[in-house]
Amino acid sequence: MIALQTQALRKVFTVKRKDAGLAGSFRSLLKPRWEEKVAVRSIDLTVQRGEMVAFLGPNGAGKSTTIKMLTGILHPSSGEARVLGCTPWREREKLAFRIGAVFGQKSQLWYHLPPIDTFDLISRIYELKRSDYHARRDDLIERFELGPYLHTPVRKLSLGERMRCEIAVSFLHRPQLLFLDEPTIGLDVVVKQRIRELIRELNREEGTTVFLTSHDAGDMEELCARAVVIHHGGILLDAPVDRLKREVLNRKLISLTLAAGSDASMLPPLSGTEVIASDSRRLKLAVDLAVTEIETVLSAVIGALRLEDVTVEDPPMEEIITHIYGTGG
Amino acid sequence: MSTEANAWEESGPASSWISRCAGTMSFLLTCWKVNLAAAMEYRMSFFLMAGMMFINNFMWLFFWSLFFGRFQVVNGWELNDVMMLWAVTAGGFGWSNMLFGNFTRIAPIVSSGQLDVYLSQPKPVLLHVLASRMSLTAVGDFVFGLVVYALAGNHSLTGLLLFLLGLLISGTLFIGVITLAGCLAFFIGNADGLAQQMFNSFVALSSYPSDIFKGMAKTLLFTLIPAGMISYIPIGLLRGIEYDFAWKAAAATLVFGMAAMLAFKLGLKRYASGNAITLRG
Repeated sequence: MIALQTQALRKVFTVKRKDAGLAGSFRSLLKPRWEEKVAVRSIDLTVQRGEMVAFLGPNGAGKSTTIKMLTGILHPSSGEARVLGCTPWREREKLAFRIGAVFGQKSQLWYHLPPIDTFDLISRIYELKRSDYHARRDDLIERFELGPYLHTPVRKLSLGERMRCEIAVSFLHRPQLLFLDEPTIGLDVVVKQRIRELIRELNREEGTTVFLTSHDAGDMEELCARAVVIHHGGILLDAPVDRLKREVLNRKLISLTLAAGSDASMLPPLSGTEVIASDSRRLKLAVDLAVTEIETVLSAVIGALRLEDVTVEDPPMEEIITHIYGTGG
Repeated sequence: MSTEANAWEESGPASSWISRCAGTMSFLLTCWKVNLAAAMEYRMSFFLMAGMMFINNFMWLFFWSLFFGRFQVVNGWELNDVMMLWAVTAGGFGWSNMLFGNFTRIAPIVSSGQLDVYLSQPKPVLLHVLASRMSLTAVGDFVFGLVVYALAGNHSLTGLLLFLLGLLISGTLFIGVITLAGCLAFFIGNADGLAQQMFNSFVALSSYPSDIFKGMAKTLLFTLIPAGMISYIPIGLLRGIEYDFAWKAAAATLVFGMAAMLAFKLGLKRYASGNAITLRG
């Protein structure tokens, strides 16, 4: 069954172009220049019910604009979309009862009130029956471990606690399709991991379709079976995550902070490992996972150097895009 | 496009309009409850802001009383009429700002892309936005309106009903006119300053006796900038019903309310969202 389908979906914004400085402002005031900015060039996409799809791309690729068109927030410039059988911008209200949306930078929690009050308001917005609401709320509070801060004003919560509440609230009305726009932005590794686990759990148990935008490759690796990579407003790659991992995400970056007295030159050459940046205290290595394993490199590093800190991360999305371009998608 | 997606089962709440209205009312009540709770989070601020506005309004009445001490009647207006004008203006402004406090902030909300959360939820967007804020100072305005009515109003049942009708017209006109001005943001971008000026002018003009204006100014006050429909209420409705005025005031309220809703609906098609970090409450 199809959860969402788009055909040549396109969004163009008209933006004012102004030269730098005060003189530019005067010129712009007297003779404004407008130009079209294509945020989404053309998106053709089909997502099946129950799928977890990662919608990836660097900043400005058109991820958020696409998600806003699919939730009925923005009207497209042209093209079509059907989400759960509705045209989002024409049947916004009807569709909104059946979908959920979490925007990492736009909170639906009442800032000065504890999350429990927002739960209550959301239950009225979605017109939930009281008995259903209480049972569902209690279940989500338990799953997301919200108990300790349920009665604390949102302004006093940490970002991680707030995001947990945001996502729990978005599940309150049992959406058939959940849009998550950068849900892990700005979160630390532990909180990211917990949020990913919870989303996976609800997808498995309730069959919720998840459409997730992120520029964090980790969200895709740990949550989704399919990844759609977009760039400059168009789809660059639509492939299973396994294939992407094998072909594109075959590099990890290790950042090391050396302890006082430790010397980077003591690190022996390691196969499949390249030093991409270094100074007296820091070292950055790129590891080719097709040649060697991350554990092997870390063992060698720990044996040769005294460390203050180690971070292992995926290459940035920009690098992944460059790689996809290089291999012709 | 595939029609397979249509096979999704219909779900969600009952679709009859009666149950939808009941659902919306229940949502509004909870929204107001949450707003009040949020306003009371800062106890001292709550009492200070409401109290200061109450005192501020009384200062104006004090100046008017000095004025009428020298001139008993001005263009047919007496001190009691001016008091009732302030009761209707402040009271109407008060209730509209308490229940639909975002009507003064439509322009900045639109231009900074803060409609996203409202648009992603299944409630009428304009209603949802308007009802999502309660102004603290408005509590002072509303209480002031009631106190002045208690001091200077007609306390018969008819008098009370006419005062309530005056409050309804006044508050609804404030919401309609200021929302309409705020909707300019959909069409010209940053309309914050313009909407603010419109707001200030409208509030100021509605708090002076309409009969001190003549000619074109008076025509404008009863048409394009319908502040006269508020400021004439003490004469045209409360002192004695002038049916010609009453139906025109009701019609203006309806027209500006509908125009605001239409402008907002059309504007949503042009809404461009934004990347500002936004928080509610």
